[in-house]
Amino acid sequence: MAQFQESQRPDGTSVLGVEGEVDVAVVDELIGRMRDSLDRGQALELDCSGLTFIDSSGLGGLVLVSKEAAAQGKAFGLVNVHSTALRLLQVSGLYDTLVKQDPQT
Amino acid sequence: MPAPHEASFAGPESRDAAEALARDPGSLNPSSVLVAIMIVGLLLTGLATWAASRIDQSTEERLLDVQTRQAATVLSTAISGIQQPMYTTLDALALVPSEDQRRVFSQLFGGEVGPDSLYVSASLWRSDGEVISRVSSLGVPPGLTEGSADAREFLDRALTTEGVVVRRVVVGEQTRIAYAVARPDNGWIIYVERAIPANRRAPVDRDSAFAELHYAIYLGETTDTDQLTTTDVDPADLPLDGLTSQTTVPFGDTTLTLVTAPRKHLGSQLSLWLPVALLFGGLALTLVAALVALKLVRSRSRAEHDTRTITTLYERVDSLFGEQRELFVRLQRALLPQANPNIPGIEFGAEYVAGAVGIDIGGDWYSVIGTGEGTFAFVVGDVSGNGVDAVAEMARARFTLRAYLLEGHSPATALEMCSRQFDVTVDGHIVTAVVGIGDQRTGDVTVAVAGHPLPLLASPSGAEFVQLPIGRPLGAGTSSYEQATFTMPPGSTLLCYTDGLVERRGEHIDAGMDRLARAVMSAVEEPLDELIASVIGSMQAEGTPDDIAVMALRRGDRTTRLEADGATPAAARTFVRQQLESRGVASDALVDDVVLATSELVTNSVRAGASHVDIRLHLGDGRLELDVEDDAEGWPEMKSPPKDAPGGRGLSIVHQLAHSLDITRTTDGKRVTVTWLLADAARVPTP
Repeated sequence: MAQFQESQRPDGTSVLGVEGEVDVAVVDELIGRMRDSLDRGQALELDCSGLTFIDSSGLGGLVLVSKEAAAQGKAFGLVNVHSTALRLLQVSGLYDTLVKQDPQT
Repeated sequence: MPAPHEASFAGPESRDAAEALARDPGSLNPSSVLVAIMIVGLLLTGLATWAASRIDQSTEERLLDVQTRQAATVLSTAISGIQQPMYTTLDALALVPSEDQRRVFSQLFGGEVGPDSLYVSASLWRSDGEVISRVSSLGVPPGLTEGSADAREFLDRALTTEGVVVRRVVVGEQTRIAYAVARPDNGWIIYVERAIPANRRAPVDRDSAFAELHYAIYLGETTDTDQLTTTDVDPADLPLDGLTSQTTVPFGDTTLTLVTAPRKHLGSQLSLWLPVALLFGGLALTLVAALVALKLVRSRSRAEHDTRTITTLYERVDSLFGEQRELFVRLQRALLPQANPNIPGIEFGAEYVAGAVGIDIGGDWYSVIGTGEGTFAFVVGDVSGNGVDAVAEMARARFTLRAYLLEGHSPATALEMCSRQFDVTVDGHIVTAVVGIGDQRTGDVTVAVAGHPLPLLASPSGAEFVQLPIGRPLGAGTSSYEQATFTMPPGSTLLCYTDGLVERRGEHIDAGMDRLARAVMSAVEEPLDELIASVIGSMQAEGTPDDIAVMALRRGDRTTRLEADGATPAAARTFVRQQLESRGVASDALVDDVVLATSELVTNSVRAGASHVDIRLHLGDGRLELDVEDDAEGWPEMKSPPKDAPGGRGLSIVHQLAHSLDITRTTDGKRVTVTWLLADAARVPTP
């Protein structure tokens, strides 16, 4: 249902790409993948360009991992947010909390 | 609704109508007609009478003139009768010796002179150039004294005049006409006098020219009584009056004036009586015409009055029928269900059309009953006959069937139990019905039919009538019924109806059934209300006398039941997305929101421990409804979790996405209904 692609940037940031739909059936795997990526880098960037659907179950996983990253002193943020993910983040009021504010843009 | 008509029927309206009749300006007033006819009749009569009388009068004048001219002619010849013997005597005297002249004169004139003869006096005179002396005299002495200037003047006139000289002389009491002729060559003069009767009256011979006339003859050109010579009437009555004619006739050296008047009517009797006949005939005709006209006017005004009365009564009856019919239709409609039960997965639509003819309505009905969770029953029926008792019988049949169906009996059993309670010999009506029960989840439907047209099952791929034996109508005795069970495919429509929809006079029922199948197929994919309207519109013949009830139920193709597990939200999202796309919902944002809401609600149900989840989408009336129903015991709560809480957001997110959100408890769980107004679909994303 969902596929993940992990990569490392030279600055030590882990980038996890999510493709497909994330709901209650997928959220546990997503949490596991995010935790692994977070362990491997100084920060975690979740690339949502391939994310076609996410509901509040998936959102709960994102909130959970973002809290864990904060506890570890690591940065966490979503990039390339669009469509349903964008709508969900806006409606839930978590956009500012979870979406990475890119200082370069 | 107007006031009850009992109040107005005998009320002031009737008097108003009567007054309106009385003062109707179109009515003829008999007396004015009579007066008009009398005036015209009298005018015509007067005119005709006057004309006829004028014609008669002018005829009389003409005839009188003719007779007068004839009389004048006779009168003018009289002078020669006087003159001729006188000349003859003068000529003879010239031939005889002087001593014989007296004798000859006596011989020639003696016979003419005497009291009863033509002349009273005749004398012979001679002029020697200077003296005129009388030679001889016969009869009474002449009114001419010898040697007098008067004699000299008159006899000189005779000597110098050719022909007779005439004058009037009065001798004593007697008036005479004197005549004289002379021969200037030898100086002989004959002088005669003719007596005029004292009363101047002279009888008129029956066959003379004067026979039909009254006359007066005057000497000279005037009509002075002094100059009157002869008349046939009493001189005291002169001058003649009435119609007269006057003419003058040369008489010697003077003239006679003749005045005449008719003794009697000169023209024909017809001419005399015609004016009188016209006068009396015209008066009689006028009277008859007036009487006939009076009779006609009276009978016409009676007929007009009758016509208006009949028209008024007819309108009254018509309006009473209309009111009664309206009352019946309202009663009928009041007995029909106003709202259908909300049964998920099944759409209902129905229509009742009152018959076009007569004041009575029929006893057609339809009924939909929710009989339990996910099950329903329906009935379409028809009570024979019409009128208010048919409607009452309809109500009885409807509620009896409803009671059995609510108790859970099958259609066949419900009909059988009903058949024991209806008897046409008691009720006066038979009842036909199609009775069915259905399961919204499976689409299974069981029907039984009592003397009623078979239901039609239609889907986009085709239409066919449900096949099962048709049992006896209710009222025809206790009977048992067979029933048939079939599954309605998703999206299919079951049409139940009364015979008014398919029956047409002079047409076999099969032809009507074929037409119905075609009519349904032509609109089978339309929304249910439009399908029903279209079918009625194409099936209803002009002026259909029977009433029509049509009920349709459609199994929704937008319902699914999913077993609850971790994959259920994804399956639900796929179902919803497909349904919306197939329904042509254009807004991606709306589709995304409905899919997200579905995912949230199904996830909640799964987490709450549901064994299955039913999902239904309903699109219509400008709104989109999503039902998510489960059998879990938990009750969802709206929470506002802190930003760092990992869960608990689902319901509040759904609430923000949609227009409204309702949670209903069901027998084994709950149903969440989310509604979007389609006009709000183009929302801007919340910042």
